[in-house]
This record gives sequence, C-alpha cells and structure tokens, in this order.
Amino acid sequence: MTGMDARLQAIRNATRVASEDLRARALSIDADPDAMEAHLDSPVFALMREVGTPDAYRESHSASGELLKHGASCLENAVGTVELARGDAAVALACPSPALAGVIVDLLGTEKQQELFYTRLHGGRTWTFFAMTEPRHGSDATAMETRLERDGAGDWLLSGRKLYIGNGARGGIGVVFGRTGPSPLSIRAALIELPAAGWQGKRVDTIGLRGAYLSELSFDKVPVRSDMLLGQHLPATRRGMWGAIKTFNAMRVQVAGAAVGTALAMTEYVAEHHKNATGADLVLARAQAARELVFEAAARTDRDPERSYLSCVAKLGAARVAVQTARWASSALGPAGLLEHPLLEKWIRDSCGFEFMEGTGNIQRLHVSRGYQAGDASV
Amino acid sequence: MSAATGELRKSCMRECELVARSDGLAAGLGLALLGVDVLAVAPGRWAAVPSRQAPIGAKTRTHRLAEPEGIVFVACPGDRPQATPGLLRTGKLLAAVRLGLVRRLLDLAVEHLAGRTTGGEPLLSKQLLSGDIANVIADVELLRVYARCQHDLAAMAELHRQLGELGWQVTKLFGAIGYLADYPVRALYVAVLVADTWLAGEAAQ
Ligand SMILES: Cc1cc2nc3c(=O)[nH]c(=O)nc-3n(C[C@H](O)[C@H](O)[C@H](O)COP(=O)(O)OP(=O)(O)OC[C@H]3O[C@@H](n4cnc5c(N)ncnc54)[C@H](O)[C@@H]3O)c2cc1C
Repeated sequence: MTGMDARLQAIRNATRVASEDLRARALSIDADPDAMEAHLDSPVFALMREVGTPDAYRESHSASGELLKHGASCLENAVGTVELARGDAAVALACPSPALAGVIVDLLGTEKQQELFYTRLHGGRTWTFFAMTEPRHGSDATAMETRLERDGAGDWLLSGRKLYIGNGARGGIGVVFGRTGPSPLSIRAALIELPAAGWQGKRVDTIGLRGAYLSELSFDKVPVRSDMLLGQHLPATRRGMWGAIKTFNAMRVQVAGAAVGTALAMTEYVAEHHKNATGADLVLARAQAARELVFEAAARTDRDPERSYLSCVAKLGAARVAVQTARWASSALGPAGLLEHPLLEKWIRDSCGFEFMEGTGNIQRLHVSRGYQAGDASV
Repeated sequence: MSAATGELRKSCMRECELVARSDGLAAGLGLALLGVDVLAVAPGRWAAVPSRQAPIGAKTRTHRLAEPEGIVFVACPGDRPQATPGLLRTGKLLAAVRLGLVRRLLDLAVEHLAGRTTGGEPLLSKQLLSGDIANVIADVELLRVYARCQHDLAAMAELHRQLGELGWQVTKLFGAIGYLADYPVRALYVAVLVADTWLAGEAAQ
C-alpha cells in the first residue's frame, strides 16, 4: 500500500507468514469441511481467535496478537484480511472464532453476555454464527419471518428458519435475529447457546468457500431467556437492525479484502506456474488497485463509520476483480489446466461467493448510487 | 456438417442450443461431441464428455460438481493436437450448448425471482434486475451470431471467455441459492470446467 506505516507493515508481514498455514489446509478443508479435527490446533486459528477477543477474555497473549489487537482499526483489519485470504479465505472462514457474531456482541451485548460469549470460545473448538438470512428473505432482511414470542413466564420462544448461515450447524454459540412484532424496530438479536431444545441445523453444500460451512437452521419454540436478548440496556432504536447494519458496515470492507486477497492468490499462482502468462501484469495491476481501494475504504470507514459509500464501492469492485481474475486464471494455464491445478480451481469457485456476502452486487450498487447523489464520491 | 473442415451448418448449432436449453449441459455436450474422436481431437490431457459417452476402456476422473451433472473427464495421453478444424467445430457447438444452458437458467432465474419480494413489492419489478435480465438476453443474441461467424481458435477462446462472463451474470441473479452445489445453477460452473478442457487458450481480457 502506498504510504503504509511501520505498524501496518508489521501487521501485513505477520499475517503474510500466517497465511501459509491457511493455504496448506485449503484443499483438505474444501474436500471435507466436516473433517476439522486436524486443523483446530492451527497456530493461525489461535491467533485469529485471540485477535477477535477482547483483552479481558483472551486465553493467550501472543506478540502477533498484541500487534493486531481486538478493536483494531478497520484499516488494520483489512490489511490482515487481505493477507489471510491470500493464504485461503475459505480456511479463514472455517476458523472457530468470534467472527461476525463477535462484532454484534461487542456492540449490543452487556458485560455478562460478552463474558458468556467469549469464554464459551475458549479451547478453540466452538464455532459461532450470525443468523440473519432466511429462505424467503435475503437482501430484504427487515421482512424476516423468524419470531420471538413471549412464553408467558417472562422469557421468549424462537421459531422460524434461517439459511446460508456460516458455521451454523456446527456452532456452539451465536446470534439469531427474530422479530417480536411487525415494525422494523421489533427485530431483535438473541444470543443463543447450544445445545437448545427445538433447534436443528444441517450443512448445505456449496459450490465454493466450503470452509464457511453454510447451514440451514430451524427453530421450533427454542427457549430464549430474556437476559439473552442483546441490546436490552440500549434505546429501542439501537438494538436489532441498528446493530446488524453497524456490523455489516464494519464487515463489508473485510469481505472486499477477502475478495482481493483471493484475486492476488490466483494471480500469483498463475505467474508461478506459467512464467509468461498473457496478461499477468495487467491482472496483477488490477488486483493491486482493488487492494488500494479496499484500504482507502477501510481508512474512510475508520474516520466516518456511518458513511458506507466507499466501502460499498470497494466491495462491488473487489468482488468483480475476484471474478475477472478467476476468468483470466481459468484460461491462462492451457487446456484442462483447472483439472491439473486443483487449488486454482478451488479459488475460482471461492471467488464467486464474495458476490453474495454482506450485500449482493445490486444492493451495493443501490448504496453507491445513493452515496454519490449525497455527495460522498471522491473528488 | 463436415467434421474434417470445421464447417458447420447453422441448424447444428441451433439444435445443440435447443437440446441444452431443454435437457441440460450433458445432453447438449453429448450432441456437440457426436462423431468426435475425443482422444484424437481434445487439446489437453483431460477432456470433458457425458459419462455415458466416455470411450470404453479410457481412464476417467470425476469432479464433485461435474459428476452429478453426468459429466466425466477422459484422460487423453500423449502429445495433444492444438489447432485442428475438429476442435474449431467442437468449440462452436460447445458455444451453442453454453448459450442454451444460459437460456435454461435465465428462465429458471426469472421463475425464482418471480416468487420473491422486497419491501413488499415483487423483486422483478426492480429496474436494476430488469436491466440485468435484458443485458443477459441481449448478450445471448449477440454471442449466438458471434459464435457462427468466428473461424479461428483464438476468437473461439475469446468467445468462451465471454460465455463464462454471461454465465456469471445469470448466476448472480439467483442470490445465494445459485451458490448451492445441489441447485441447477451448478451446471454453469461445470460448463466452465468443460470449456476449459476443450478450449482454454489465453484470451485477452
Ligand atoms: C458464502 C456466503 C456466506 C454467507 N454467510 C451468511 C451468514 O453467516 N449469515 C447470514 O445471515 N447470511 C449469510 N449469507 C447470506 C447472504 O447474506 C445472502 O445471500 C444475501 O443477503 C442475499 O440474499 P439472497 O441470497 O436471498 O438473494 P436475494 O435477496 O433473493 O437476491 C436475489 C437477486 O435479486 C437481487 N436483488 C435483491 N434485492 C434487490 C433490489 N432491491 N434491487 C435490485 N436487485 C435486488 C440480488 O442482487 C440478487 O441478484 C451468506 C451467503 C454466502 C454466499
């Protein structure tokens, strides 16, 4: 990155080394996302967990973890995400860590809820989930049908279905969104610890990013204690959807970073296996430009977290660059090259997944257009 | 149709497109490869064929997504031929198959989206989506003519790159359901693998 200071360089270097561990696990997790035991003691998984955990609840304190502290800036996280995804984005998604759920627990959770959430992750064998999307409502999440109903004794019962939930079917603790009434303000986030009566989950098989372990979840009157609803201590306007939107704003740039990291990985892989691949310089320059944009968007998010224009631009652009790079890579190694290079073939499948995460391309386009009309575009 | 010279009647391409549209990728590929000596023509060390048409006794390998589509990869040992007329012909027919597949999945995308709403309105009423659909079908019309008119392998490789892009435009319409491995959109991912074995060449971006 132009003008990357010493601290960012140190983060980049540390995560670059870590990414090699992720890459070494990539094909095995893609082949069998259920066979995770051999990977759970990965030092990089421990690092990712450490970095995602507030100091008070950390199990260990490593030098790299000190470098990339919990609550690090969006830019620092983006620098790390690009490098980890350059190792392998799907393996990073397979890591038992606070992930998306951690962001909303930090935002909306009481100290007690945070303690419950983070200590449950100790030992590195507990996955988390963030369950928003439903079979009938994806982009239109405010129309969700999952319900939280009073149980008559002061607590709640959760009923409904969620789909495409990362690590959902193997999760131990996480957040599920449901509505207590018809208005958007009635959408609440519930912290759910498993096992729980009435809860069912199964993995759904995906084209790529198989480490993400997308799942279908169904809830039949799952009991939820009232102290497990997040944001109870906050004003009604700062609970469910507000927390979700803040979480998406924080994570959008990271998804863009993962797309760019994957694009860089594919470009470098082709260059390594085919020294004179046509167009390699151009493709690399495009991926590097996308990385620059992601970092700019991350820096802008740090300065002004409420304005999402540039992070949407970056997500839109990075997802596109990943797919364009994949298309180039698939023709660069000659006939049947994809069968002979399974890691590349996997990344090509993975690179399609970023389109749908944290808002599809069309949803980003709508935000970008709004931001532009509001005067947010760069000079 | 003359397999030797690569000349092709418009009706053969049309038939391949129609079969792929009505019966899917493997059926279309089967028709495109009818009469083709796979082991003699395929440019790479593996060639995609419908499982039922794999040459008897040939070594094959499978792929997690291709197998349920009814497609396997046949080992093609020895030095591989590069620019044969037979390959050009196969490239054209395969382009027609991919166009048929895009139509098949565009129909399904519209059906899928017709059952979805946003903000209480039908998703299909959103102009962004109508625009996406229009772009896909306009490109189908253009690439169909383009496929008929191309007479060299570099142009054919470029055409297949564009067909990959077109397939992606359709895939995006589905949202995440199109990223599920047991959903019909899988055929579009497999089509990329198939084309990679028959045509991959370095196309300009
Ligand atoms: C790898 C991966 C990981 C995921 N992880 C999670 C997770 O952990 N938790 C979770 O809750 N969800 C997760 N998702 C789901 C993701 O958030 C949804 O896929 C996304 O919100 C889109 O919803 P949908 O798939 O239902 O598509 P839909 O919303 O049905 O969209 C279908 C099509 O319509 C377009 N569209 C939608 N609305 C509009 C509009 N207003 N105007 C114009 N076009 C529109 C879309 O761009 C798309 O082309 C994940 C998905 C993937 C692929």
